[in-house]
Amino acid sequence: MTDRINVTIDPDLADLVPGFLNNRRRDVEKLRVLLGADGFADIRLIGHSMKGAGGGYGFDPITDIGAAIENAALAQDASVIREGIERLADYLARVDVVLGE
Amino acid sequence: METPKASAGTVLIVDDDQDMLNLLSTWLTGAGFTPLLANSGGDALRQLAISRPDMVVTDLFMEEMDGMTLVTRIHDENPLTPVIMLSGQARIPDAVKATHLGTSAFLTKPIAKQVFLDEIHTHIRPRRRDAAGAFERSLIYRSDVMVELLEQAELVALGDVTVFINGETGTGKEVLARAIHDASRRRAHPFIGVNCGAIPEQLLESELFGHEKGSFTGATNRHDGLFLAADSGTLFLDEIGDMPLGLQVKLLRVLQDFEVRPVGSIKSVPVNVRIISATHNDLEALVEKGEFREDLYYRLNVVPLKMPRLAERPDDIPLLLEHFLAQNAARSSTAKKRFAPDAIAYLAAASWPGNIRQLINAVELCTTLYTGDIIPLAMAQRALRQQPVHIKTLKDAKADFERNYLISVLRISEGNVANAARLAGRNRTEFYKLLNQYDLDAASYRDGAAQE
Repeated sequence: MTDRINVTIDPDLADLVPGFLNNRRRDVEKLRVLLGADGFADIRLIGHSMKGAGGGYGFDPITDIGAAIENAALAQDASVIREGIERLADYLARVDVVLGE
Repeated sequence: METPKASAGTVLIVDDDQDMLNLLSTWLTGAGFTPLLANSGGDALRQLAISRPDMVVTDLFMEEMDGMTLVTRIHDENPLTPVIMLSGQARIPDAVKATHLGTSAFLTKPIAKQVFLDEIHTHIRPRRRDAAGAFERSLIYRSDVMVELLEQAELVALGDVTVFINGETGTGKEVLARAIHDASRRRAHPFIGVNCGAIPEQLLESELFGHEKGSFTGATNRHDGLFLAADSGTLFLDEIGDMPLGLQVKLLRVLQDFEVRPVGSIKSVPVNVRIISATHNDLEALVEKGEFREDLYYRLNVVPLKMPRLAERPDDIPLLLEHFLAQNAARSSTAKKRFAPDAIAYLAAASWPGNIRQLINAVELCTTLYTGDIIPLAMAQRALRQQPVHIKTLKDAKADFERNYLISVLRISEGNVANAARLAGRNRTEFYKLLNQYDLDAASYRDGAAQE
């Protein structure tokens, strides 16, 4: 069984966080499709958005993964993008949200 | 029942990422602001056309219209709207360009909630809390034309932008300049005003930029000058249109480099001064006639504010009458008089060529000559008939000049009467007589004592 990851989130964001995480799960699917079609420009945009928003919601690893995907898309490095997508999928599967300061 | 709290201000957020819009909107709402949301530059411009947010926060990297273009478009319409730019990349060239375009702050994402809210407070709060208070304390108004002017002035007060005030004599240009200073972050530092038209060229140069000891006959001491005296504060250059052309070049150089070189010095000294200038002249016409430098005009005229004539703000006249009646009563320790309703109507419809200065004189005349409690229409009419006072008599104009001249000489000599008398070409006895005549005290010009 894989380890769970507990993340403490600002209670003010309680209503937003489920939607944010669902959008990232959709990003995983979109990124897989785009990677298959060499859609590097769109991959870059998704990575850029994840990088910008992740830390603000309290999910610093999403910012890190987004930055890696954005940079790899600029370099058109498919293997690094694939690795980023799998890291994101793994993180989303294991993350648990705890409300608190 | 709980009383709803007033909004701390309206902030338009522009980002093509819905998750970012949701996040920033939640933070702002929690801090008491009212957020407006736009998911593109075009959407933002549409919203700006119908609402007047107190601030805009925009992402830099957006597909349809990027943040730089949006800032340019926003400032084309309203150069005073504060804009904070967010970027996913901490790139110095972007930050420099954003600053040049007039953004208040450039922040890198991901951004921490407190950092974001601190920046919002820094750039929006002075307007809400301090600026409005300063304007309400200094100026008496309710007319739409003044409300609009002071909304602009409140925004101007937030930053360090150079301001140019145009308006007829007696409209209160210096009062507005001082209110902008009092509402700004510079308010703990000096506000220094100088009438550029009242001082001869050589003295004005020394007065503004300072001089070294021995740099000209009578310069027995070093003098810092008004730019340095106003360091960290505001320098108000009144009647800038009367500044001699030779000095205009020197002023331009200071405004370009923000360094002053005192007369007789080989070293320049950095200064941190906000410039507000004013004139009753049509400066553009002076530029066309070659009497005012075009480059200096553009350097000064970054944000132009037009002080309306009193006749353009009749709604304010009853308030002003009330204010000056109360002031007169307090000064003379007598009961406050009132104007009869028909007298107020008459005064509100008058043309007031001498503006507020004329109104003050009219109130003074009425309260002095009329012994009853309610000043009638006939008295108000008489006061205006007797008051074509907007043009000074030659004697008064000469007295004004002489007084300003003496102040300049005292500043330059730092209150040393012997040196001041020498500069003025008078002996000490004559010079003392002049100081008495104009109620000037040399001691207040020594050792950085407060000056007018």
